[in-house]
Amino acid sequence: MPRAGRNFAYYLIAPAVLVLAVTSLYPAVYSVVLSLYNWNWGVQFDFIGLRNYADLFKSAEFWQVLYQTFLFAVVATALELVLGLGLAVVVDRLKFGASIIRTLLLTPLMVSGIIVALMSKIVLDPMLGIVNYLLGLLGIPPSPFFGTTGTAMSTVIMVDAWWQTAFVFIIVLAGLQSLPQEPIEAARVDGANATQTFFRVKLPMLRPVLYTILIFRTIDTLKVFDIIFGTTGGGPQIATEVMQTMAYRKAFSFLQMSEAMTVMVIFSAIVLAISLVYMRLDERLAED
Amino acid sequence: MVITRRDQTERLLAYLISLAAILVTLFPIVWLLSIALKTQRDAFAMPPKLIFEPITDHFLALLDKPGFVEAFQNSVYVTALGVSVAIVIAVFASYGIHRFRFRGKKLFGVWLLLSYMLPEFLYIIPMYALYQRIGLYDTHIGLAFVYQVHSLPFAVWLIRSFFREVPSELDDASRIDGCSHLGTLRHVYIPMAAPGIAATAILTAIWIWNELTIALSLTFGEAQTITVAVASFRGYTSINWGAMAAASIVAIVPMLMFAVFAQKYIVKGLTLGSLKG
Repeated sequence: MPRAGRNFAYYLIAPAVLVLAVTSLYPAVYSVVLSLYNWNWGVQFDFIGLRNYADLFKSAEFWQVLYQTFLFAVVATALELVLGLGLAVVVDRLKFGASIIRTLLLTPLMVSGIIVALMSKIVLDPMLGIVNYLLGLLGIPPSPFFGTTGTAMSTVIMVDAWWQTAFVFIIVLAGLQSLPQEPIEAARVDGANATQTFFRVKLPMLRPVLYTILIFRTIDTLKVFDIIFGTTGGGPQIATEVMQTMAYRKAFSFLQMSEAMTVMVIFSAIVLAISLVYMRLDERLAED
Repeated sequence: MVITRRDQTERLLAYLISLAAILVTLFPIVWLLSIALKTQRDAFAMPPKLIFEPITDHFLALLDKPGFVEAFQNSVYVTALGVSVAIVIAVFASYGIHRFRFRGKKLFGVWLLLSYMLPEFLYIIPMYALYQRIGLYDTHIGLAFVYQVHSLPFAVWLIRSFFREVPSELDDASRIDGCSHLGTLRHVYIPMAAPGIAATAILTAIWIWNELTIALSLTFGEAQTITVAVASFRGYTSINWGAMAAASIVAIVPMLMFAVFAQKYIVKGLTLGSLKG
């Protein structure tokens, strides 16, 4: 590439670099700096070094919330992967109507998280909700859903699965439909049945696709906010509090700006580490 | 191929599972719509009423609710602004990454990905502090600008995968014909990748329209978006389901229209990004 071409590339990316410098680099650096102060909006602003970190690491609440964030992310991602993969395999087998079925199943992705949250509060209302009524018809005792510390977390996970399984479904379906046909035919000629063909031939070929989905769902579920903000608000007590709702509460309810930033800096470091590990693995995967 | 009995049973089962999935997917939305059309008494009736006299009161009341219509308009402005900025900047950046080799290219790619992946509140509080100082808090421009931290990397990544689909012979031919770099972008890449760019714009629009976290923290009365307005109905859970449901339906409808009319683009964007990204 001639030198002129190289400089030209810099002009092309310059606007993006400028925008990201302000929207991404500046706030990230500023957050780290803020986490070293005891800034409470409009009141205090003194440098206190790493005391925010020390305090946070000593608080049982922080560890519980961190644990709950991962619990939510791991279970929701696993559930969505299994359901989305299963559904894609089923719809892939259909001869007629696959495209209309795909359109209908895509709907949840069009709906904002906050609406999913409010909608689930209506249908899952312990007393007046339609779901408990239908369960009653089947002889299943009503669930308090968002109402108790024991059931709230599994309920928000269920709601997230309703919302985002479609994402896994749509991508795996497209993946299945674009697989090369020769290996599948060869397996069939060799006498493999549908189940064997799926696990031995199709699934391995889908690996890169599943891998990309896994990255996106993991990171996205770790960052969950709307669903929890709109349903439990982190409660009952702090049974469904996660990192992002914790930062929101600290910053905008209690105006503990520096504490909120400390939570986010630690959390971002974790997300960063996971992203980098994934990126390394992805490179290796591509070299296969 | 012989169609065995076993094949038939399996196909029947596949249809039944699909039907169940559709029911579970659509039922809550249909139920939400029914609540929006019910009187308070019908909405809270036990056993639930399947047949009822629909009313439009809840929708009409939204017109009188202070700020609701404005919130819808704000979402239209912020979405249009956010999508335009992201797409224009991303087209140039994607071309730069796709077509040229330069020092720092890999670093730029990693930066894009990390910007996209890091949690919103890492960005929100510093931007909140900055915006309070420079007067961009609670403005359309301010909000649309912060959205770039997510939308721009997304658009660059997607448009770049669509540029990869453009045959390199076309690129070479255009250069031989004496086209400049920008000319090639304009006459080859943009027209060839137009459906992909449209898909990217649609997906970005859906994301911005539905976004809550950032809008909730960076807007208040003037630039409040539709999702923030809907979120303000949270407290209505046990009091006024009808209002909450009607507001939600109004916020969903534009996106459902997208799903119906632009489905091909949506699927294309969602899948190409992850299959070939």
